[in-house]
Amino acid sequence: MQKEAAIREPLILGDKSYKDITNDVVGPIEGPAPRAWKLMITIAGLIAFYGVGCILYLIGTGIGAWGLNKTVGWAWDITNFVWWVGIGHAGTLISAVLLLFRQKWRMAINRSAEAMTIFAVMMAAVFPGIHMGRIWVSYWVLPLPNQFGSLWVNFNSPLLWDVFAISTYFSVSLVFWYIGLIPDFATIRDRMVKPLPKKIYGILAFGWSGKAKNWTRFEEVSLVLAGIATPLVFSVHSIVSMDFATSVIPGWHTTIFPPYFVSGAVFSGFAMVQTLLLIMRKAMRLENYIHVRHVEYMNIVIIVTGSIVGVAYLTELFISWYSGVEYESYAFINRFSGPYSWSYWIMMTCNVISPQLFWVKKWRRNLMFTFVMSIVVNIGMWFERYVIIVTSIHRDYNPSSWGEFHATSIDIGIFIGTLGIFFTLFLLFARFFPVLALNELKTILKSSGENFKKKKDHSDNH
Amino acid sequence: MNNTKRYWAGLEELNETPEYKELLKEEFPAQQSVDEFLADDQLKESSTGRRDFLKFMGFSITAATLAACETPVIKSIPYVNKPEEITPGIANYYATAYYDGNNYGSVLVKTREGRPIFIKPNTQYGIKAGALNAQINASVLGLYDSARLEGPMVDKQASDWSTADARVMAGLENAQNVVVLSNTIASPSTQRAIDAFTARYNARHIQYDAVSYSGIREAHRQLFGKAAIPNYHFAEAKTIVSVGADFLSTWLTGNHFASDYASRRKPEGEWMSRHFQFETNMSMTGTNADTRVAIKPDQYGKVLAALLAGVSNGSAPAVDGVSELALNNAVKSLRDSRGASIVVSGSNDPDVQRIVGAINAALGNYGKTIDIDRPINLFKGDDKAMAELVRDMNGGKVDALIVYGTNPGYSWYNRDEFAAGIKKVKMSVAFSIFADETASRCTVICPDNHYLESWNDLSLVDGRVDLVQPTITALFKTRQAQESLLKWAGIESDYYSFMRQTYNSAYTADMMYTDVAWNEALHNGFMATAPSVIEAAPSSAEGENTAAPSIDVADAVAKVSKTSGGNWQLALYQKTGIGNGDQIANPWLHELPDPVTKVTWDNYITMAKADMEELGLNTYIAQRDPASMVKVTANGRSVELPVYPQPGQKRGTIGIAVGYGRGAGNERIGKAAYQTGENGAHIFDENGNAMPVGQNVYGFATLVNGYPEFLNLDVQVEAINKTYALATTQMQHTYMGRESVVKETTLGAFVAEKGKKKGDASWNKAHRLAVHEDVNGDGVIDARDKKSIREFDLWHEHPVEGVGHRWGMTIDLSACLGCGACVTACHLENNVPVVGKDEVLRHRDMHWLRIDRFYSSDWSQERGKEEGKGVIETYGLMEDPAENPQTVHMPMMCQHCNHAPCETVCPVAATTHSNEGLNQMTYNRCIGTRYCANNCPYKVRRFNWFNYLGYDKFKNVNPAQDMLTRMVLNPDVTVRSRGVMEKCSMCVGRIQEGKLNAKKDGRPVKDGEVQTACSEACAMGAIRFGDLNDKGSAVKSISENNRSYHALEEIGVQPNIYYMVKVRNTEDQQA
Repeated sequence: MQKEAAIREPLILGDKSYKDITNDVVGPIEGPAPRAWKLMITIAGLIAFYGVGCILYLIGTGIGAWGLNKTVGWAWDITNFVWWVGIGHAGTLISAVLLLFRQKWRMAINRSAEAMTIFAVMMAAVFPGIHMGRIWVSYWVLPLPNQFGSLWVNFNSPLLWDVFAISTYFSVSLVFWYIGLIPDFATIRDRMVKPLPKKIYGILAFGWSGKAKNWTRFEEVSLVLAGIATPLVFSVHSIVSMDFATSVIPGWHTTIFPPYFVSGAVFSGFAMVQTLLLIMRKAMRLENYIHVRHVEYMNIVIIVTGSIVGVAYLTELFISWYSGVEYESYAFINRFSGPYSWSYWIMMTCNVISPQLFWVKKWRRNLMFTFVMSIVVNIGMWFERYVIIVTSIHRDYNPSSWGEFHATSIDIGIFIGTLGIFFTLFLLFARFFPVLALNELKTILKSSGENFKKKKDHSDNH
Repeated sequence: MNNTKRYWAGLEELNETPEYKELLKEEFPAQQSVDEFLADDQLKESSTGRRDFLKFMGFSITAATLAACETPVIKSIPYVNKPEEITPGIANYYATAYYDGNNYGSVLVKTREGRPIFIKPNTQYGIKAGALNAQINASVLGLYDSARLEGPMVDKQASDWSTADARVMAGLENAQNVVVLSNTIASPSTQRAIDAFTARYNARHIQYDAVSYSGIREAHRQLFGKAAIPNYHFAEAKTIVSVGADFLSTWLTGNHFASDYASRRKPEGEWMSRHFQFETNMSMTGTNADTRVAIKPDQYGKVLAALLAGVSNGSAPAVDGVSELALNNAVKSLRDSRGASIVVSGSNDPDVQRIVGAINAALGNYGKTIDIDRPINLFKGDDKAMAELVRDMNGGKVDALIVYGTNPGYSWYNRDEFAAGIKKVKMSVAFSIFADETASRCTVICPDNHYLESWNDLSLVDGRVDLVQPTITALFKTRQAQESLLKWAGIESDYYSFMRQTYNSAYTADMMYTDVAWNEALHNGFMATAPSVIEAAPSSAEGENTAAPSIDVADAVAKVSKTSGGNWQLALYQKTGIGNGDQIANPWLHELPDPVTKVTWDNYITMAKADMEELGLNTYIAQRDPASMVKVTANGRSVELPVYPQPGQKRGTIGIAVGYGRGAGNERIGKAAYQTGENGAHIFDENGNAMPVGQNVYGFATLVNGYPEFLNLDVQVEAINKTYALATTQMQHTYMGRESVVKETTLGAFVAEKGKKKGDASWNKAHRLAVHEDVNGDGVIDARDKKSIREFDLWHEHPVEGVGHRWGMTIDLSACLGCGACVTACHLENNVPVVGKDEVLRHRDMHWLRIDRFYSSDWSQERGKEEGKGVIETYGLMEDPAENPQTVHMPMMCQHCNHAPCETVCPVAATTHSNEGLNQMTYNRCIGTRYCANNCPYKVRRFNWFNYLGYDKFKNVNPAQDMLTRMVLNPDVTVRSRGVMEKCSMCVGRIQEGKLNAKKDGRPVKDGEVQTACSEACAMGAIRFGDLNDKGSAVKSISENNRSYHALEEIGVQPNIYYMVKVRNTEDQQA
């Protein structure tokens, strides 16, 4: 069993027993839906419906429903795509990388972070689909044997790499998440009284019996999947960044992109986890499991990744001058002084300056401040992608084609809509799935639980 | 051999039953009616079981349902008797000529399966190799305009020809005072028909031009006793001075002048002409001038007077606010090229034109560069007679008025007076093909044929007659105007025979197929005839001023020196695309960006930026930044129009294009003549009238000595608190010092390094990149170690160099004048969708070929450094064009890169490289990610944002959405569906056709045999197309010329399109 120094802040607060943990996590699933939940899912559901309506309008009318034009061929669509994929980074990072590093504090947050990942990647996947002019032939991006003759996909295209990267990442994350859920589903199954839910959770639990053999295999599979998932965390956003890095457009054609995108993704992913968990711990009374210590750790990750991102921004600026290429240097001058400089300065403020505030210990342990900052960071990261995409192509090589981009209501509607879909899914998850990895948490109760630490302290004194 | 085999159709035949024998006797079995059949009682006894009933019902319902699922039936009816000359899939070409009263061109009409679909220059036999312009190019669309009149109209009701004829004849019989009002008749036979008619009814014939040049005619009468518009030979002019004449575009026969002019703009030639332009608006001609000086309209005469003095005395007197240097340079250049120069002016004031004539006479240009002996037979309008006619009409003195080929109800400067007058005419007849502003007010409309349905003969200059032949049977129940006139004159002859008789009085119908000379002339499109088939037009000016001709113009000089204008002066002009407004309903011409402003679909006021700032108007025009409107008042009329900031516009002046504001009274002249809103529907005013595009500003013309002058020296301009969106295709007007996009130099610099190898001259240095390798072998690795851009490569070479064909293009920036004929040609050839104003406003124009127009800026990074400005601030300043900038026109289309960035990024390989060097777009495979467009450094790829063929937004603009107009689509080019990318294909269909023709003949493809639509339409020879692998091809040799370069060479995409450095014949780079 793991040992933890008594002076360390406990991970589980209060006088909790194993039974308490089970009750705290499974209780909300068994009880009736609270009014707040009903209200929230109604709002999220309505927004989701609006978003679906906008998507259907887009598919019915044509890409012209967006504000894109001959110069700016991507804007909100790919911005949203990269933003959602970025958010989808935290879950797997927390569960896989932190698992390999044996960071026990992850146990309180990994379940919902992984759920967030899955839903965020689903939202991300919407955009490459609907941004196609002819979505009805979108399956052509898959290397399927076909009867069109010798037609095959173009393996040179980064968009194709995206298809592979995202689908691999999504399936591995889903399997990883699901494997983790199995013992918890079994717990719910065992407590359920109503026959139908019992049946459903029974199916979901895959016949888990809680035997030592089950647990061994569970641990092994988790480790193996963590090993597979860890490189994916880094590959997905590297590959997404290559959509830009392999192009010829000044501002896109940058070798720094892969590491810069990955750290940006982790940065925004952790911010989104903060946003969700800070609400969830209050709403579901999980204050004893998710508390200041977790939040502080995550804020430290945000400082580190935010600083990497900041250094990357400055490096880009330096290189654009140092390269001596007039297009490259103009692209960056235009970023901070051109027509879209407002978006650049929003990005700089949100992503470079704001995370540095977390150096102050008092602030990074303040939950309200953290909540505000987590939203600021995600706004900043959305603008980062907007800056990269729109400001680079709206003025590239040939000045005669320089143009503007103005978002339409459909652009905005679809983005807001994906937020609605995302929160709907997350709320459903919070209602019907165990939001904490309760069986895993139980493994650290005796080492990191507050009461056990006190008891130990007490017994040590005698 | 005994054949014992027997074949039988049934047992009855085998057994030879009596019933069978009975049946054999009757060839057709007895008819039984349905009633009888149903009345048969036996039917009742037969029974249908429930199961059978259900089976039948099921089958019937399924069958009916399936029938309903059928794809729409596209009717394609084969010929019963195939015409000998038509093979489906093979185009036929017919030589004909275009003349609309304003433009003149010799053209070849491409017909497919009997439908005319494309207009191209008659390069072999046409005037100036068939040089045409965008208006002539696009004129084929008018044939299929669904707003055309489908038959005669009597008293605004649809009627038939016998009723209409009876009505007209009755009206004519009772008429005392009959007038035929037409545009300038350039056709000898039409003139004969009109003469026959006027003789029969003792009628007057008055010619009237919407845009008048009668001042030039009058000036020459006073100078030389010959009322004529001379012909100008710009190919022989070493110095050209134009004072306000847009002679490369819309002034007289601009398309012919432009082709001559361009032939002397290539610096490799024996000499290069030098062009000075003094003008108010920035005209297309002004953008091509070596030296351009902005002047006010009241200075036209003064500048010319100064030039006259200068040419006579050697130095020009100063003119207030006009660069003395420029004036004296012009004088010096003119004096140096006596007998080889041309001075022209856009003014219609005979006094001003007399000074022009005097300068040309002093320089000895008449008989050399200016031909008064064989003048241009166009623009014979008699404005005084027209004014008198309008007075007579209002005085009730006109009994019958016949209007042919002209629309004074719209274009007469006092159109309300004309409209009032026509009501007092007892019977008015119009030949218009639309119920336009004049025709809709007439008693009878006898619609003329479209010119592609007509026979005619035209004579631009004496000694040559161009033939017009029908390329399709009249689509509607229309009748050629001449035929109507002949019929009413009592001549029982069709117009074709009548026309033949003009040249052979013994002509009879049986000679139709036997007259070899005629058939050859018809094939070639012209015949050389005895001169002067058209008698000189009678001039009402005769008798008024009978002074002997004299080139003493002192009185004119004295007069013009006293001219002065108000605070605001106006110069009216014709747009290259819209002209005098005849083709206002042609969406191709609306979508064609103006060569200078790049604005589409609109009429606007051009004004200097500084003036706009003083008036507090918006100078940044973009999607969400609409233009401010101002109210312009003159001649007691006022219009409200948006203002566009125009570099080069003289301060204190404005320019407005005529030709707009048509159909303001809800006349039916075509859908595209009206404004459309964000959803593509027409916009209506408070009275429920569709709002026309722009405003009619013909009323702003002034009468100077009875001659309509398209300058107005005193107008009021007043800012009003309204805005109006203007859709431009180009927002950034300078090239930001990016010299690898545009390269230009001066003639002096060019000559100094003329002999250098390609890539060595200072004005066309090849790009070399520094590498970490000791390239020059000096033992040190430093910045001097550079390698050619061609030595860096990530990809394998495409195996196109020296293997098979490698199609390429060269574009000479020195010869490109920016006229846009190539743009419309490309539009026609490739079925490029028309998207309308709102989409252009959103930067979604679909042009495969565009002409980038760059202005020079006063600023550069070097100057910024010198003046201590920061880099960022200087970039900001470089975005603004100079007050009077130099201009470059740069045609830009897919560069067909050999290492195309678009090809590598497509996930489904929809865009690939052909083994002939083409960058191909496979529409069927495209899924529409737009990645290729983003990654294109030239931004030439165009995405189908909507279903332009069906989406309602485009029903008023896209010809492909009109059941009739879509006949104009080129069947050889796929019409693209929604969601796919498209771009220049280098007319791959034409390449294929050329290759197949060569293959059939068993020979290699000849150089010049395959032409793209743009290269064919370019009368300047700026765009050339050919095979770069053909050692003897023109493009190959041009690509090796030291002026040729690749745009954005340093990216290493290796285009197949070469540009040639623009050379200006000027010493002062920043004039």
